[in-house]
Amino acid sequence: MERHGRRSVPAPRDDETKWKRPGEARRERREMPRRTADHFLVTLLRWATPLAACVVLALVLARVNGGGHANPPLPEGPSLADLAREPLGRSTEALVESLQAAVRVNPGDAAGYAMLGNAYYQRARETGDPAYYTRSQGSFQEALRLDPKNVTATIGIGTLSLARHDFRAGLMYGERAARLTPDLVRPLTVISDAQVELGRYGEAARTLERMARLKPTLATYSRVSYYRELHGDLRSATGAMRLAVAAGGGSPENAAYVQALLGNLQFDRGHYAAAEHAYEEARAVDPSYLQAEAGLARLDAGRGRFDKAINRYRRVVERLPLPEYAIALAETEQAAGERPGARRDFGLVHAEVRLLQANGVNTDGDLALFEANHGDAARAVALGRGAWDAAPSVRSADALSWALYKDGRIRAAGRVSERAMKLGSRDPYFLYHAGTIAAGGGKDDLARRLLGRLLRESPRFSPLYAPRARTTLNGLRP
Amino acid sequence: MRKPSVARKLAVIVAPMAAAAIVVPLSIGSSHREAPNIMLDPSADNTDVYAWTAPDAPNAITVASDWIPGQVPANGPNFFRFDDRARYYINFDNTGDGVADIRYLFRFSTNVRNPDSFLYAGPGTQGFNDPGLNVIQRYSVTRERYKHGKLKSSHVVAKGLPVAPPNIGPKTFPNYDNFVDASIRHLSGGGKIFIGQRDDPFYVDLGATFDAINVREGTGNQGEGKDDFSGLSTSAVVIQLPEQKVTKNGKPVAGLDAKNAVVGVWSTTDRRRLQVTDASGSSSKARGRDSRFVQVSRLGNPLVNEVVIPLGKKDQFNRTTPDRDADLYGRYVLNPELAAILNALFNVGAPEHKRTDIVQALLQGIPDLNQHSGQNAGTPVDTLKLNLGVPPTNNPDRFGVIGGDNAGFPNGRRLEDDVVDIELQVIAGYLVGNKVPLGDGVDQNDKPFLTEFPYLAAPTSGFDSDPSNRTEPPHSPVPPGG
Repeated sequence: MERHGRRSVPAPRDDETKWKRPGEARRERREMPRRTADHFLVTLLRWATPLAACVVLALVLARVNGGGHANPPLPEGPSLADLAREPLGRSTEALVESLQAAVRVNPGDAAGYAMLGNAYYQRARETGDPAYYTRSQGSFQEALRLDPKNVTATIGIGTLSLARHDFRAGLMYGERAARLTPDLVRPLTVISDAQVELGRYGEAARTLERMARLKPTLATYSRVSYYRELHGDLRSATGAMRLAVAAGGGSPENAAYVQALLGNLQFDRGHYAAAEHAYEEARAVDPSYLQAEAGLARLDAGRGRFDKAINRYRRVVERLPLPEYAIALAETEQAAGERPGARRDFGLVHAEVRLLQANGVNTDGDLALFEANHGDAARAVALGRGAWDAAPSVRSADALSWALYKDGRIRAAGRVSERAMKLGSRDPYFLYHAGTIAAGGGKDDLARRLLGRLLRESPRFSPLYAPRARTTLNGLRP
Repeated sequence: MRKPSVARKLAVIVAPMAAAAIVVPLSIGSSHREAPNIMLDPSADNTDVYAWTAPDAPNAITVASDWIPGQVPANGPNFFRFDDRARYYINFDNTGDGVADIRYLFRFSTNVRNPDSFLYAGPGTQGFNDPGLNVIQRYSVTRERYKHGKLKSSHVVAKGLPVAPPNIGPKTFPNYDNFVDASIRHLSGGGKIFIGQRDDPFYVDLGATFDAINVREGTGNQGEGKDDFSGLSTSAVVIQLPEQKVTKNGKPVAGLDAKNAVVGVWSTTDRRRLQVTDASGSSSKARGRDSRFVQVSRLGNPLVNEVVIPLGKKDQFNRTTPDRDADLYGRYVLNPELAAILNALFNVGAPEHKRTDIVQALLQGIPDLNQHSGQNAGTPVDTLKLNLGVPPTNNPDRFGVIGGDNAGFPNGRRLEDDVVDIELQVIAGYLVGNKVPLGDGVDQNDKPFLTEFPYLAAPTSGFDSDPSNRTEPPHSPVPPGG
């Protein structure tokens, strides 16, 4: 499986025949005024913030003084300004349509492609359909072909690379964007994410410090929280996430997202009532927020309410068919003894992974864990090695160490496990893996410490693995 | 279906990855934290500042500062809230050097009566003391005095005051006015304050359809525009102070020629800075150091950050102070990109360079009208400069100064001043003899403003919410400048 560099971009899978791939777009000739108007909407939108857009849009869409149109009427369909009125959910679809129309009319304008790339990426996030990643990539690439210095496309393709787990590309594009606009903070979010996932924690800390110094907002707070979490400082991570929650005012999605993240932190700390409260707060803001639903499912499973948990996970998976949720569902079914359901849903995971891979997502790290737990250990090791080579983070080390352990290579697993634990993470899965590996290698004191901490602090972390952790702990020499 | 603010909708288009919908990590585990790419910050971003002399309070300065714009009332109240961890400021510069001399600091604290309930308020909640009200946000007001940028004194002039809640609907709040009345409070030492949800006073047409445009025949100023902010709400701080509270010498203003007549106004928001690691690089002791604040937003004249400051400089603009404006941003004001766009679009003949007229109108103040006196006279700073000696008029012209009404923008900014039309015409060259009748076709807010404190109109209730975008009725073409 390729990990590096460009993948070939498959054609869009559905019938969006309106959209032509870059280079194939019909270069239609349009009357000047329509082209001008579209072009300038695109022009202004490219660098304008909302109110600037207001101003010039307002002008562009000003009414004539009665009668006589010297210029022919514009085509049917939603205009770039129409979607300004649309609700957010619908607006992304309408936005995509309008931008597709705009790039058809102005195929030489990078800004239109850059915005289209963003809109496709947004659709991917809304629908969970990785096919949008592919379209997004194509649009960004066309934008950069037309204008290599386009900031929007550079940041966009960087963010997309991260989402696809191509962290080196993410870093490259993030740094390029930072050079293009040295005073803008947005590129730093791409850079810091890439640095964390590449295991460059010192550099990440410096980038985050810079972000916190220049523009402490929700995006900064949640990233600092994650950095602290990786270092095992869950209390401070929670504090930083609370800042993000307080800052989240004004947008349902922001508010729900960070509440769910807060819920996850509280869950990992074993503060189950607080976790439930946070998930419910997320749903009070957005009743359909699926991450919160998944969090509540995890709580149900932790309380032994398997039926409830399975129903919740099913609801989530139906709407957002992502491997993360399918695995949680399948593992809960397995813990509940529902073998056929578990088998079916593990199969679902494979299908979803294939779809991600087909759309350029590097699934090595997560797939390594999945294969180690539910599949072929040797394959898991190969995947884990690939993940480590591409992104030498504690997370990759954790996956590789577990794969090695499952493949019977205890000593190698132990060595890699040290790397995984070097920051002092208290991620329950890290503790579970490292503690089990230590026990397997005869390092009883270490195993006792790690598994003891795990079961003290996060006893309900998994309906499937918590019992195994307990068995291992109990089996240690006193 | 949820309908977020118009400004934010546009930000979906324009700002890279600005607004995330459901943030979904497309991975099979959480091997990569899909961190929020949200750079919008509605609870911190200053959206509008108004400063004017109210006809019913001629010896006072009245300031309204808005945050969290374009709230759709039906979207629910949970997130139309000030940030309890942020600091909100209204700043006054009475020497003209772009450094605050007086600051009013607002800090908020949310109290939830029943933490097990996620409801904002139960049905039939009558007022602040009604046990049905589950969530109440309170605030304190601190008045700070500075000299040459150094803090000289700090007094809490109000504490524990309630923020008027969002107008959820008549079932929940059958007498919403009770909240508004109870939210109008007095400040120790003089002045009035109101903080709460109000109708968003900004008005502009973002357009629904393209019509062909022919500028030479006169464009956009004969109405028929739709106010895209119609029906939407905002979180407003409205403060009215005896003018001696903000003047250079602490005395009232004798007349428009008085040396203490002009005061610059702008709003800012600070957020807590976080320390990621401590000096040794370890993250474990970082939590004690999260006490410093960083300015993350500021706003003086309307639309400067949006229209004049380029994308790559917006973050810098938001964290800098007006005293550095000439150095940092002067060239963008002198050579406004928007002028070039107007010319390319409509061939209006807007001068694209050496726009010292815009520098004067927005940054320096107009001589004999709203320029500071003394050694800092004419220093270019992005503050709203209000001459407190110019008497208010009972017949305001929405075009303000270019409409012949010296009590209007840019001499301060009233709610009814049509800053969109004014700035379009000024950028096109009104002040240098190129008078083009530009406009957006919307001349006024969807709701009439109040003639008494807090002046901003009542917010549309969530129940009634139907952002149907009021359409400005047609009228005869208005010549440039009104």
